[in-house]
Amino acid sequence: MAHVVQPLDQPSNYKDSQSRLERSKQQDLLSKSTTLYIGNLSFYTTEEQIYELFTKCASPEDGGGIKRIIMGLDRNTRTPCGFCFVEYYTHAEALASMKYVSGTKLDERIIRCDLDLGYKEGRQFGRGKSGGQVRDEHRQDYDPGRGGWGAQAQVDRRREVEERYADAQDGPGAVASGGGEWKEVETRGTLKRGRSPEDDGDNTRLANRSRIDDPEAERM
Amino acid sequence: MSNDRYHRGAGGHRRRHNRDREEHDYHDRRREIYDSPEQVIKNTIIKMGEVDPTQEVPRVAKQIRDGPIIVPAISEGIRLGVTQQPYKIPYYAALLRLLHDPAPSQIESSTSSSAPSLGKQVLEDFWKGFQGYLDKLAWRDIRLCIHFFAHLMVAQVISIESMSALLQSFTTVLDEFGVSYGRGKNAALCAIEGLLIAGAVIKKSSSPNTGEIIKAIQSFNESITSSKLLVQPMVSLHSDSPVLENADELIDNGLTVLKALEESDFLDAWSNVPQPYLDYPDLDPTVSSPFELPSILVPPEVIELDGLATDAGEDAQVKKEDWPEHFFYLFDNTVTPEPASMSGFLIRSNVRDIIDIFEVNRKECARLLLEYPKWCVPGTFKPRSGAPPTEEDPNAKNWQLESAVIETILGTLFLFPEPPHKAVYYIALITELCKLSPSTVGPAVGKSIRKLYILLGNGLDVEISRRFAEWFAVHMSNFGFQWVWKEWVPDLALVEDHPKRTFVHRTIVFEVRLSYHDRILKTLPDPMQIDLNVIDNQAPGPEFEYEDPTNPYHDVAQSILSLLRGRSRVDEVISHIDTLRISLESTSIPLPHPHTSVDALIRSLAVQCLLSIGSRSFSHLLNAVERYLPLLRGLANPNPAHGGGDETEAKRNILDAAAFFWRRNQQMVGIVFDKLMQYQIVDPTDVVAWTFGHAGMLDGMGDGDPGRPSCIGAFEWDLIKGALDKANGRVMVARRKVAALRKEQDDSIARAKASGGADVASMEADADVKPIKQDDPAAESPQLKIALKAFTSLTREQKCALSRTIESFVSCLALSPSDPRHNPYGQSVTTEQAWQKRLTWSNDEWKTWETWGWYRHFCRMYAPYLRNYATTLSTVGFARIQDSVDPAAELMKKTWDIATGQEV
Repeated sequence: MAHVVQPLDQPSNYKDSQSRLERSKQQDLLSKSTTLYIGNLSFYTTEEQIYELFTKCASPEDGGGIKRIIMGLDRNTRTPCGFCFVEYYTHAEALASMKYVSGTKLDERIIRCDLDLGYKEGRQFGRGKSGGQVRDEHRQDYDPGRGGWGAQAQVDRRREVEERYADAQDGPGAVASGGGEWKEVETRGTLKRGRSPEDDGDNTRLANRSRIDDPEAERM
Repeated sequence: MSNDRYHRGAGGHRRRHNRDREEHDYHDRRREIYDSPEQVIKNTIIKMGEVDPTQEVPRVAKQIRDGPIIVPAISEGIRLGVTQQPYKIPYYAALLRLLHDPAPSQIESSTSSSAPSLGKQVLEDFWKGFQGYLDKLAWRDIRLCIHFFAHLMVAQVISIESMSALLQSFTTVLDEFGVSYGRGKNAALCAIEGLLIAGAVIKKSSSPNTGEIIKAIQSFNESITSSKLLVQPMVSLHSDSPVLENADELIDNGLTVLKALEESDFLDAWSNVPQPYLDYPDLDPTVSSPFELPSILVPPEVIELDGLATDAGEDAQVKKEDWPEHFFYLFDNTVTPEPASMSGFLIRSNVRDIIDIFEVNRKECARLLLEYPKWCVPGTFKPRSGAPPTEEDPNAKNWQLESAVIETILGTLFLFPEPPHKAVYYIALITELCKLSPSTVGPAVGKSIRKLYILLGNGLDVEISRRFAEWFAVHMSNFGFQWVWKEWVPDLALVEDHPKRTFVHRTIVFEVRLSYHDRILKTLPDPMQIDLNVIDNQAPGPEFEYEDPTNPYHDVAQSILSLLRGRSRVDEVISHIDTLRISLESTSIPLPHPHTSVDALIRSLAVQCLLSIGSRSFSHLLNAVERYLPLLRGLANPNPAHGGGDETEAKRNILDAAAFFWRRNQQMVGIVFDKLMQYQIVDPTDVVAWTFGHAGMLDGMGDGDPGRPSCIGAFEWDLIKGALDKANGRVMVARRKVAALRKEQDDSIARAKASGGADVASMEADADVKPIKQDDPAAESPQLKIALKAFTSLTREQKCALSRTIESFVSCLALSPSDPRHNPYGQSVTTEQAWQKRLTWSNDEWKTWETWGWYRHFCRMYAPYLRNYATTLSTVGFARIQDSVDPAAELMKKTWDIATGQEV
């Protein structure tokens, strides 16, 4: 199909500029990615609004669905700073979002989706000097959805937003995994859940991977 | 693009360009590389016609002849053009015709060369590509190639006899024993569309086979009647014949057109399809003999069996079957192309193909759709306002492009059992169209919405109404939620469960989910703002039962909450709850309604507390569930040491607590149920059972009248669908896992053999793959054993969820009058007399009608799964109505038989 038009589900020039991975490795990861970086969100947009829109690209009958949403937070204030990660169970769902959702409106803003290498601890925080995203450091315009200049609009929404992530933590385990594949579990009579061999496999594989130090998500 | 200048560059530039490219690669930027001669030819052909096709065809033909002549590149360019830009097919036929003409050099020297024409050489190569599509049964590509061949036959490049034979080969498929509907439909479409283009010439030939082809399609089509009953957009529960209102079936339409053409000897076949090649002088058949298409055999469908069966030996592989395609029409034939006319049929087919092909880029798709008229005969579509007036042509159709495009997109979105792509694609495509040309597309969208709205309550299928609401809400969220709600205010006088009212309610619920309560409230006129059946009086939010300090269990709940908030270890929380249980058991305070045991009360307390700390956001919910997973598992699986209890009841209690907690937020009920299944706290069957158990009581504040019949609305259906999809999805994942492990095992055996037993895996980067010892090839790896066991458990659960759904639908609609849960309207709403009096229907009657709609949708939607397990499922599901001759019971069984293919 690429002969006549450029498909919309190709990786764009978005990248995690702090990723230390080689380019071929990055491309390989993107070609299987189940995670999207979502940009240009309003600071007031909630995870449930994001869930509602992105669930339209989910394929639960194929074992898919939204695995988790990681809201991008201002490092200092712990309030949403206009980006998030949406992680699906399957790559096809991420591609569907690129094709059908990227460039449409959510909460009355045109949002942008990009295939992402996958969430790593720490990437939920903005990397701008003042704690938010870099793009908001240099922005000249008045943008009521992204903090404006003291945005009076949406006072109630702002109050909720300010409180919501006050308990956000960093470090390992701060972000939920979203639940894995179905596994045979021994439930009756015991509260302990035996870990299946695959569980361990996943973890060790992650741990063995060369250290990836990419604490923030930002476009070039 | 500044890239263009590089194309003209000579050697020196090239070097610089390469250096530039390396630098740019560093930034991951794509730069065009010099095009090879092959690429130049291909691009020229693909881009042909963008400005003025009639002018460009001879120019491109000359460019090709001027060489270098690379036949495979020419044929590939045409092949890509034909299969990806169907609107250009007549011009590609014209191009090939010019390549087939004797070369100018031949004419000058007046020597008749014995070498085949360039056109023939290209066609010969093109045919290989066509054969490839046939081998893969890539039906759309096959069909578009047939368009191309048909035009070429009219252009005298392909022989009439070989074209007739090609079309006939597709009708042979229709006579195959046990041909699947999908295969038959696709083959029939190939023959229909080919005949529409080529019929007039074939009819005039010495041995026309048009009548024969039409007859074959007709007898195939007549063998399919009852399945049409289940997939038409307008429902008539009392009628045995398809409702033809607002929608015709695709093959039906094709046949109608063909039969009319056959009767008129294909006389007026050619008024509205471009045939640029007819302007070229006739060919001398002695100099340019036509190309003979080789004869073909449409290969049989290959179904790859993985040999995985359920524990009862049923085949668990899902084979999605095609259904007849009823396209919805909103406008009449003077506004949009008449589906049962030659040009209307082909134009609609073209538009559908564009929508399908350009799914990868909705923005380009929207642009191409709005440019479509330029590929049609002038007068087909009404000229844009501002365009110079054209001469009055009595044959001009002057259809409205935007209405035609929106109607076709919506028609595809509303196909059953599901549209070819995700619904959100069609929604996003309409958004792009509106953005490109708001002043012309906007009104067409508005008209479509109003026309659909009128059909609500007049038989519009419940699933279409659901997709309509979803489209409406997403569309409005892209355009500032601007809708003139005022015009629907008079309908507030209808009963709350009238389809128009449930539509308005659902749309607003969806809008609120995408935006927020206050925002949507402000878009509504006053009478709607204060109507609780339109919009809630407060924003959706949690409802923590024990929050109120006057609640007798407030303090108990607070004690749990403070542990959870302090992120206490899970075993501490569990032991605290165990202590609570013991102390509650020893008190004499009567248990609060509706809890019937201390265990049930404990579950309600613990689950609501957990949801309370998880109520801030979806992530908070996941964190809470994940951190206290062992607690939830313990609640769901009562410990026999503590007096045990019923596991089903435990799971019901958990779902009760979740639904109660989120009763003012349906979205969260769905999300929590989904995650409870994901983390294996409850099973899909538990969710199905719970939903039917609460059917009819979930609307509004959550406490319905238990005296009302048990009915399924759109929200309940969403929960049921979520559970069934989860069950089916898990089987799908398990199947893939088994297949992957088997392949891995086979591969490592093969590797081990190939290397003579040496340990090849040590060379591999991925050390997970251990070779199986050569002397023990039959052994299944432990992982494979686990995967097979999981597959067995999951198919069992899948069947359980499905049969529970059938059984429960039977309870809703067709229990005998002696049963205390008998729904008095189950049968009455299916009669014609009742339907005629629907203006006087009560809420219960509408809800029962809607339940019938969801039952029908369940059957057609899950038919591929139901078919595999038909015997088991019907035995269990229909146990209570097996011998009933009650009309409602009969209708249920008949619907089932159609869906499972036991009645065609």
